[in-house]
Amino acid sequence: MDLHRVTVTANEEIMPQTHVVDVASPLLGKSSKPGQFVHIRCSPMWDPLLRRPMSIFRIRPDGVSLMVRAVGDGSQIIAASAVGAELDVLGPLGRAFTIDPSARRLAMVGGGYGVAPLVALATEAIGRGCEVVLLVGAATADYVFPADELPTDVEYGVATVDGSLGHHGFVTELLPRYLDWSDAVYACGPTPMLEAVARITRPAAFGVAGAMRSQKPVQLAMEQRMGCAMGVCLGCVVMTKNGYQRVCRDGPVFQADEMIWDGLHA
Amino acid sequence: MPEHGVASKTGTATPPNLRVNLAPNNIHGLELSNPVLVASGTFGYGTEYQSLVDIQRIGAICSKGITVRPRAGNPPPRIAETPAGMLNAIGLQNVGLRGVVVEKAPIWERWSVPVIANISGESIAEFEELAGTLDGVPGIAGLEVNISCPNIRDGGRLFADDAGSAAAVTRACRAVSTLPLMVKLSPNVGNIVEIALAVEAAGADALSVANTLLGMLIDVDRRRPYLANRTGGLSGPAVRPVIVRMVYQITQAVSIPVVGVGGVTCTEDALQYVLAGATAVQVGTANFVNPRTATEIVDGLSAYLQQHAIADISELIGAAHPPAARPAVTTPV
Repeated sequence: MDLHRVTVTANEEIMPQTHVVDVASPLLGKSSKPGQFVHIRCSPMWDPLLRRPMSIFRIRPDGVSLMVRAVGDGSQIIAASAVGAELDVLGPLGRAFTIDPSARRLAMVGGGYGVAPLVALATEAIGRGCEVVLLVGAATADYVFPADELPTDVEYGVATVDGSLGHHGFVTELLPRYLDWSDAVYACGPTPMLEAVARITRPAAFGVAGAMRSQKPVQLAMEQRMGCAMGVCLGCVVMTKNGYQRVCRDGPVFQADEMIWDGLHA
Repeated sequence: MPEHGVASKTGTATPPNLRVNLAPNNIHGLELSNPVLVASGTFGYGTEYQSLVDIQRIGAICSKGITVRPRAGNPPPRIAETPAGMLNAIGLQNVGLRGVVVEKAPIWERWSVPVIANISGESIAEFEELAGTLDGVPGIAGLEVNISCPNIRDGGRLFADDAGSAAAVTRACRAVSTLPLMVKLSPNVGNIVEIALAVEAAGADALSVANTLLGMLIDVDRRRPYLANRTGGLSGPAVRPVIVRMVYQITQAVSIPVVGVGGVTCTEDALQYVLAGATAVQVGTANFVNPRTATEIVDGLSAYLQQHAIADISELIGAAHPPAARPAVTTPV
């Protein structure tokens, strides 16, 4: 982890308001792990003030690819970075996903922009010889992560809220059919989606009568408004069974069993 | 004392003097190698940024606010971005007094950078317990008395809200601790000069001016305040002109050192505070954006003094005051 001045080597809009920005940095390439993120300064100016956390989407020997969702003033500046521009990047940060050596079949659920760290994870898992199913949800077909960005060995399932592509409904509705098959479940996306994943994979913990207690590992990458990303400002906490934990430092990846969902999302 | 900033016979200048003493009347003193501190709540317990920042080059580190008992803090969302600033309502999440004494102070003791423990009580008795317990603990160079955190209320009021209770907290801490006391004022008051004078009279060695400005952001989609705590403290460049003005007014009234806190991002910002009368500055929110802001300002101040052939930073303190109000120690430049 360090402050890096890195050069943008490619910038492609893969979906509306979503860019894949490649940066050259052998140090980031060498040290980054799936599930980690970087914290990018919007500009040398002080408005917009705070850095923006961006998921590491692809890890290469000579750098990383970042998924940049251009939804606000700060992320729009970063998403507009021209090839050759310099970015002030802090990272890699946070606790990464872990793949148990005995796990062979991995089910992954990505909501919207949350697909980014799962692409890095799926790529690593395929490299280890695992079977991977990646389920992706979006509001409409326009916002569905393009399959050609994925390793071909990854089985791909799609759900859209408006039914314009794939399953008509929430992506979490696709998960139950893969539960028995999978050795481990991974998810990243909006907090209500992550809670739904926890509910499906840990029904007993949600008081569902007669539900089996599953020990299958479930790892969730949480989202929260972030300040320093160094564990200092204590701005990005989520409630867990160990009290408030910092998404930037103690996460973003948490075990589903750790989370306390009450009041986490308004 | 060596001469500073004076060209030697070989033509190379000796470095200008950046040393300042924030507690000249205290038996321990609070002498810093330079006037650039990092503000409470923006630098953790000092350890978090060690891998990124040469922390020993900072003037002093003000610790995360410490309370008698550990505190979990407020529910999220706790922070929000605003124009050139941010709101926070962390709620003083911290390891508690014992955690600081047992886990943190032994680390601080090994450092050359002084650590000032920021203490926050919900009653006079709690302030006494905090100040008394920390007195004589190796690794703690001074206390910053937080009478002004806008998130903790005692009977609906802040100690910082009026001169009488601000002075009472200061007196209580003074009575149980020999450590240098820097009292951190709230900007959310009608007459901050009156409170500064009362705190000075009650035995403060220095003032930090100021804590965050109380603010609010409304989420128009949800039609309610964005922060779970509803209100939060505004910090960052947005507040700088307000706090510079307060420092300018307070330093013309008090004779103890004042430390300017609010929106310091660069050397020029720090110089504004010094010229307005501050003996030192604290870098706060800027640490989140560039953790090396404080050490970069240390270098920048040194370069500025050298460039302007000023031997000692003290020559600039209050130089922007009206001529009659400039402190006696100031040499007009």
